[in-house]
Amino acid sequence: MLVSFDWLKQYVAVELTAEQLAHRLMFVGLNDDGVTRHGDDDCLNLEVTSNRSDWLGMIGIAREAAVLLGRPLTLPKARPHEGQVPAEELAKVAIECPELCPRYTARVIRDVNVGPSPDWMVRRLATIGIGAINNVVDITNYVLMESGQPLHAFDLERLSGRQILVRRAWKGEKFVAINHKQYTLDESICVIADARRPVALGGVMGGAETEVTQDTKELLIESAEFAPHSIRASARTLGLHSDSSYRFERALDPAGVDWASRRCCELILDLAGGELAAGVIDIGRKAAERSPITLRFSQLKRILGIDVPAAEARQILLALGNRELRADAERVEVIPPTWRRDLDREIDLVEEVARVHGYDKIPEDAQVPMFPSHRTDDDRVLARIRQVLVAAGLDEAMTLSAVEEPWSSALSPWTREPPFVTNVPVLRRADRLRRSLLPSLLGARRTNETLANPVIELFEIAKVYLPGGKPGDLPEEPLMIGITSGGDFRAVKGIIEAVVAVLNPSAKVTGHPTRHGLFAEPRSCELRLTCGDVRDLLLGFCGEVSSSALNLFELRGTTTVAELRFSALRAIASLVPQYVPLSVYPAVSRDLNFVVDEAVAWGDLARTVQDAAKPQAEGLTFVDVYRDDERLGKGKKSLLMTLTLRSPEGTLTGEQADAVLDRVVAAVKSNRGGELRK
Amino acid sequence: MTLEALTVELDVLQIEAEKAFAGAADADALELARVEYLGAKSGRLRSAQKGLGAVQGPDKPAAGKRFNAAKQAVEAAFTAAQARIASLTAARPAGPMFDRTLPGIRPRVGHLHPLTQTIEELKDIMGRLGFTVASGPEIEDEWHNFEALNIPAAHPARDPLENFYLTTARHVGESLRDSQRGSESPDRGKPLLLRSQTSTVQIRVMETQQPPVRIISLGRVYRPDTADATHYPMFHQIEGLLVDRQVTMADLKSVLRLFASSFLGGDVHIRFRPSFFPFTEPSVEVDMSWHDTKTGAGRWIEMGGAGMVDPNVLRAVGYDPEVFSGFAFGLGVERVCARRHNVGDIREFYRNDVRFLEQF
Repeated sequence: MLVSFDWLKQYVAVELTAEQLAHRLMFVGLNDDGVTRHGDDDCLNLEVTSNRSDWLGMIGIAREAAVLLGRPLTLPKARPHEGQVPAEELAKVAIECPELCPRYTARVIRDVNVGPSPDWMVRRLATIGIGAINNVVDITNYVLMESGQPLHAFDLERLSGRQILVRRAWKGEKFVAINHKQYTLDESICVIADARRPVALGGVMGGAETEVTQDTKELLIESAEFAPHSIRASARTLGLHSDSSYRFERALDPAGVDWASRRCCELILDLAGGELAAGVIDIGRKAAERSPITLRFSQLKRILGIDVPAAEARQILLALGNRELRADAERVEVIPPTWRRDLDREIDLVEEVARVHGYDKIPEDAQVPMFPSHRTDDDRVLARIRQVLVAAGLDEAMTLSAVEEPWSSALSPWTREPPFVTNVPVLRRADRLRRSLLPSLLGARRTNETLANPVIELFEIAKVYLPGGKPGDLPEEPLMIGITSGGDFRAVKGIIEAVVAVLNPSAKVTGHPTRHGLFAEPRSCELRLTCGDVRDLLLGFCGEVSSSALNLFELRGTTTVAELRFSALRAIASLVPQYVPLSVYPAVSRDLNFVVDEAVAWGDLARTVQDAAKPQAEGLTFVDVYRDDERLGKGKKSLLMTLTLRSPEGTLTGEQADAVLDRVVAAVKSNRGGELRK
Repeated sequence: MTLEALTVELDVLQIEAEKAFAGAADADALELARVEYLGAKSGRLRSAQKGLGAVQGPDKPAAGKRFNAAKQAVEAAFTAAQARIASLTAARPAGPMFDRTLPGIRPRVGHLHPLTQTIEELKDIMGRLGFTVASGPEIEDEWHNFEALNIPAAHPARDPLENFYLTTARHVGESLRDSQRGSESPDRGKPLLLRSQTSTVQIRVMETQQPPVRIISLGRVYRPDTADATHYPMFHQIEGLLVDRQVTMADLKSVLRLFASSFLGGDVHIRFRPSFFPFTEPSVEVDMSWHDTKTGAGRWIEMGGAGMVDPNVLRAVGYDPEVFSGFAFGLGVERVCARRHNVGDIREFYRNDVRFLEQF
């Protein structure tokens, strides 16, 4: 809201500078967006919250300043001299769509002299950025800015049938506004029509064909109420926003309709002459009488934490325009002013008293009682996961929750359902809520590739959005850990194993075959967790990205990606690990080298070895895999490993260790067909 | 030979030998000098020793003494020269040299996202003030995102184009208009949207728990803003809620002061300016005083929004507003983080340039 300081001072005596006033107003709720100089005048740029439509007029601001400064508020009389001929004889008004326009008033003035406005008015309007057109149009703008109630002046002689019909537009109906642009309308839009055609977009903008010109002699002055939601929709549909629509989008003062009309006619008679017809054509329903509100003074202390004297509270409410019905030591009952449609409850009055009394009176050193709080287990597990990933050299990324096609379809490991789509894209073309973090992470990878950043190691912890589930329930939003790395399959699998080991050293990660279009065949796996009672719990996926998927994401370098379910990690996490007694005897390590068929997987061989070496087996470490057609034979490979043995009962002797190895060799031979390499 | 003649000979020999040894540039030159002066067969010292035999009588002990002094001096000069040349040689070995300026083998260490670091710090501070973290869904229904928060159907914030309403992809064509009107989507009982504030979590907590409630909720929220240096359609909010008997605005101001003092350090003050939010009444904008270390001047900076929980909200979750009161406050994590780390454009947070991430 732009305010002319010179204009404001017409209603209230202000001895402060414009800057000082703007600063003071900030503490009653009008945010100060700066003061600019305009000739001899100052323009205050005040930010008005959506609940205070009364501040969209100069008088509303003046009223607040008057309360703040303890000065009287002087308002124009708005009592124009009326002639003899009744307005009803000069024009007709009807409302067909009261749901869009509940009330319409019209006054008629004849024999006006349209010409330039006086300098004082031109200057005030210029201060707040409104150009002068002619005295009649300028007066409607002036009163709009003065009262916050939009008005429109029609050239009555150009209204076909000298009548106004407020109706819904017809589908496809054309209209040329005073900005000389043509608009195509539909039934959702409220128009002001004459006997033949629309002459204004109700509450938004007037029409070119009935606008007031130098030749205009007769005026119909419109002052009406429109439904806020309808104005908002029309302005948006047509891409047409005006000072008028901005105000009608908020609920306005119902008493302002008639006041503004009278004030407008008063100024026209003063500045453009003419004769005002008797009375007003006032169609539609009037606003109901406001219900009283009671403020218990005890509530001030209860909510604000400070004492405000009852007398001061009553004084503030009165100064703001509330009408006092009764008051005693405990309470006051008031009828709120017509322009304050935001006041209808006791708590609203508490706020009124508080903001005028001053929030600076509220202390900032109250003794707030202590209260226990705990870090959630989820947060504790997440912190450990982040710790390991960062230690493993990954940077944490944060990407948008939505992606565009075809990225969205590139991978959906958690659901077969199509993704959620937003009614408007979240950003650029991204309108699909992601079902996996990996497409967005590959996008981040591409950003880094285009910058030629040499090392791109990223992870993200965020939700994915899975449609489906029971109707009526909210959809699932499982938290995921996504990884994209320049390392190979084993490098990324190793990071995942490290995460699991930190959360629970006894948990095992196993890899199983999987198929996803994103992955290079066969260099991928499904990961499962086994730990205590938890068996084969699905953890997630890990794989090197296929060349076709690299093309889709426009990536040059290879990458391995993984996506893990936080809930699976949470399930096995041991937040308070329990001590296990340690053997005091030294360990014995033996290197083993088994030649097996190519088809024998490490995981299976390792299990056989460990099972056979129980209970002395402490650990088994993979060392290398070796292939040589000549020495080992075609279709064979040798797997090198180190087996660590330890007993809780005593130091293992060479013979005891050899006995364990004999069991291992026998088991590998019979179960896996492997031979110890000579 | 007389004692005098021998003494002169030894003086000259000693001076020349010391000079020769000191002047030897390398081991070869030193060896030549050694042979000349200290050679066992025909070195000059050896010759002088022969002359010693020719000195007779009472001068003999003095001559022997003089000879020994000269011999020691020459040998000492030789040893010194040897050490000098040895050290020259040692400084320039023929093989590889240890370079202590080579960089260490540095493990690559990743970095937490600056927003995560800010969030963790805010959670930590609020935790110390007794607030426990609560979380809730990002996909919400209209009850939790609007109605329970005292945002009625006619409120401008309910405009479908001011929110991200959701349909599933298979219904895109048929239901886009329906979803824009916010009416029921064909595949679900109720319209769903991405939450526009984390206050939704407060409702979910209060619906299942009786006061006292002291929580913070935080996470991603979504509003259809055009992305620019200070706006992004997705951002993070942190909101605090305290509901109990006898909770006042003084408690709100005091908690915010403790919070701001913990975050910024030092003596921070809190200022309220009247504002409007549907879910609080009274509503305020919160400023905190910021002491500029460069200029020494204090100034007010915007911190976020706050207020006393609106009685309609308390009623919506089944609390009696005559018995309980509470306050709520919220702030944008990106704004706090950007100011803290001097990031001029919040879009940087979501570009994920590793050079950016590695600065934090």
